[in-house]
Amino acid sequence: MVLRVALHLEPFDPLVALAAWQRHREQDVSPQAPWARAAAEAHFIGRVRSLSANGEPLAALELEHYPGMTEAQIERLAAAVLARHGLAHALVEHRVGRALPGEALVLVAVGADRRGPAQRGCQELLEALKHDAPFWKREWCGADGRWLEGNTPL
Amino acid sequence: MPTRLVTVRLFAALRERAGWGERRVALPADQPRMSATDLWWQLELGDRAAGADGAQPGSLPSSLRVAINQAFASPDQPLQAGDELAFLPPISGG
Repeated sequence: MVLRVALHLEPFDPLVALAAWQRHREQDVSPQAPWARAAAEAHFIGRVRSLSANGEPLAALELEHYPGMTEAQIERLAAAVLARHGLAHALVEHRVGRALPGEALVLVAVGADRRGPAQRGCQELLEALKHDAPFWKREWCGADGRWLEGNTPL
Repeated sequence: MPTRLVTVRLFAALRERAGWGERRVALPADQPRMSATDLWWQLELGDRAAGADGAQPGSLPSSLRVAINQAFASPDQPLQAGDELAFLPPISGG
């Protein structure tokens, strides 16, 4: 199992992050490498919406986290999903701080030997992040900031 | 008996409502099994004036979670000297 968790204080490009992650495959081509059996990959990119929960134009989304616990908790959640679905690898990159509409908030990428565990593992890890990793969103519309209590529906 | 100190941390809306994010708190010498719930009421963190969070002494608002030393924990777990206790409002990540 290979696992990487990263938090970004500045904008990050999820496709660049994904390309860097994929280079591990080229660096370790042995048949025993976790990458060798990951013939199926599932990727998810989440971006900042353009409208607030109330339907107003969103100026920015602020993401607060709990430094130390957030990283540790994501690693615990990912390790559990990796084990439960028998995944070969998982990558989680998450933005924190003030983000603008359209910017990437979260990247989840997992690899498995088949599409079923890859897709289920990716979805389960994303849902775990949304409900059990300490992040708090505040929507800024003009000068007004409003903390969100909970997530958008699946 | 030496003073038993814990660090209490608040986040997001909770931090702004309380007006502080981190505080060192001495556990009372006469309460060896002080829990996060006990400390919540001792620090007057509840929104009692508005009655908005619906919590009664002896419990925490149902939407709140507790972390001890950066891992989720039971709000009834007795605190130890040196613990980092955090009260976490409803999570919205991803």
